[in-house]
Amino acid sequence: MKRYFRELSVVSALLAVLLSLALFAPAFFSPQPLLSLVTREAPTLVVACGMACVIITRQIDISVGSIFSVCSVSAGLLVARGWPLALVLPTSIGFGAMFGAFNGFLVAFLRLPSIVVTLATMVTLRQGLNLIRQGEFVNLPDRVQWFGLSQTTGQLVLVGTALGVLVTLAWAMRHLAIGRYLYAVGTDAEAARLAGIRPQLVTLLVFVFIGALTGLGAMMNLAQSPQVQPLTGNGLELKVIAAVVVGGVAISGGRGNLWGAFAGLLLLACVSPALTHLHVEAYWEKAVQGAIILLAVVADGVRSRQGRA
Amino acid sequence: MSTTTTSAAVCNVPGRNWSKVFTSHEMLLFYVLISEWLFFYFAGTSTNRRGGVVGFGTWDRQFDILRHSCEIGLLALALTPVIITAGIDLSVGSLLGLCAILFGKIWHDGGVPIPVAIGLTLGLGALAGSLNAVLITTLRLPSLIVTLGTYSLFRGLAEAITHGSITYTDFPENFLFIGQDHWLGLPTQAWVFLLVALAIGLLLHRTTFGRAFRTIGLSPEGARYAGLPVERRLALVYVLAGLIAAIAAIIYTARLGQAKADAGTGYELFAITAVVLGGTSIFGGTGSIPGTLLGVAAIAVLKNGLACLPVVMRLNAAEEMSGLLTGALLLIALTASVLPKILSTLRIRHHTSAPSTPQLPR
Repeated sequence: MKRYFRELSVVSALLAVLLSLALFAPAFFSPQPLLSLVTREAPTLVVACGMACVIITRQIDISVGSIFSVCSVSAGLLVARGWPLALVLPTSIGFGAMFGAFNGFLVAFLRLPSIVVTLATMVTLRQGLNLIRQGEFVNLPDRVQWFGLSQTTGQLVLVGTALGVLVTLAWAMRHLAIGRYLYAVGTDAEAARLAGIRPQLVTLLVFVFIGALTGLGAMMNLAQSPQVQPLTGNGLELKVIAAVVVGGVAISGGRGNLWGAFAGLLLLACVSPALTHLHVEAYWEKAVQGAIILLAVVADGVRSRQGRA
Repeated sequence: MSTTTTSAAVCNVPGRNWSKVFTSHEMLLFYVLISEWLFFYFAGTSTNRRGGVVGFGTWDRQFDILRHSCEIGLLALALTPVIITAGIDLSVGSLLGLCAILFGKIWHDGGVPIPVAIGLTLGLGALAGSLNAVLITTLRLPSLIVTLGTYSLFRGLAEAITHGSITYTDFPENFLFIGQDHWLGLPTQAWVFLLVALAIGLLLHRTTFGRAFRTIGLSPEGARYAGLPVERRLALVYVLAGLIAAIAAIIYTARLGQAKADAGTGYELFAITAVVLGGTSIFGGTGSIPGTLLGVAAIAVLKNGLACLPVVMRLNAAEEMSGLLTGALLLIALTASVLPKILSTLRIRHHTSAPSTPQLPR
């Protein structure tokens, strides 16, 4: 119980928000809008799972937003050319993995700090995309939206996929050797190396992995609207990092789990609808999200101080 | 790369090794800057129908470059000490936006004279910086994540204050002078920029504060054992960053003649790029103000020069091209900075096993 105090406190904060919504704005819980809200967050959840892995390994990836945009637009163009979805999906994942591998190579083998490397790839990819597309939207054929299924079925498929990724990964992080390697490298890379793990390889793989998940997330986003706009991934990196950190994954590596990140994401996702339903102006959304992030890190700081004392 | 610059800057040994000076990171960046400038001078200058020179080679254009690089330059100056102490401040761009809005609101709704409004804004900027400082030093939280939170918070407050739509305009002529006019032959804000550069440069290179920042960046524990007031020095760095972001906000508002909530969006990225390009190690411990100034100049010349190239003009894509090239430049600079280390590691691999992946000291 004490071990998961941090995760449980996020879950109770989430429950408190949901409870106050239930009391003051029961309209929030009508099924269709709620399903739409959850579906909108499904791609973010997939990327957040990857981000949790990266941060647990004591790295960070702020290029996910740009990778997301590039994958969305390139997948959109392929679909518009008439490629079948079954072929576009692996292509998009492969694109993401390729960019991730580039980041991972620079971080793991050239030993550059991940924050600067991914900052550089973020700027390069975003501006490259702007240069090529000039902000143009990609129109998608009808068969793409909701994979040609009915809207509700499509939404359920997307949410199911995201939850599937979450559950599989959460299980793998706990029960597979590779999952434990991430924690080992994040806690102490040198000790991990002495224990026979190859930290550089693990670091490379975790970047490839988040890239692949970002490609998957981009496809899940693609299926939700009739168009792809090139700025679709802007700010995604901050959203997922915030969710992961609020969910109790320590930025200093080696601590946290995906369930916490899931709760953090839901908490942050509830902010905007909660503000609307509680009749606060929507302009406060970003400020409130910032305050939640600060509150979460302050809570971490206070707890670790108490632990030291 | 930066070992040479550190020994020159910190120890200031007489009879320095000139061959090392000419191959230091700053000098290399200087050569890049010169060749960049020359390239744009020859490729981006043309004559119009009446025989007048237009494009990159004119004096007006040089002043324009200076004018437009002041805000990002100020943020880069603010970030240099922060990064030298092995920290990071992602919130400076958002704080620029918040301060611009606060300045507009204080002047417009508060009805106070401009100088008072400027003073209040600078105070509020320093206050916002001290929020970062308190969280980072007293709770010993990683600066990356604290400033990520305030990045969101400051921008959010700016949006909340303006309801996402209000823009403050109609500033008086004598205020716009700061951002749009000349004084003693240079754009007015360039004097502010140079003054701040001088102040931060002296602080970093000619006082014990600068030495303390480097020591903290290399090893906070070591600094503590050496009797340095680590928390107070770190707090100073973040409060200064807040203050300088507020100065940048005033200049931004004066240059554009309006204050909007999205002011300075993404500036932190360009500022960090300039600092890293200038040879400041993101791991902390080394870095210099001349390097940062060269980094700012390299980015500003690139951005402005591209806008003068006929090819780019036809595509109407100067903004994107410069962003793309800045990112690529940063990647190349980073790779170049570690290549010697990698090569030497490969050479000694026969004798010892390779050390593991380094990680950010968070």
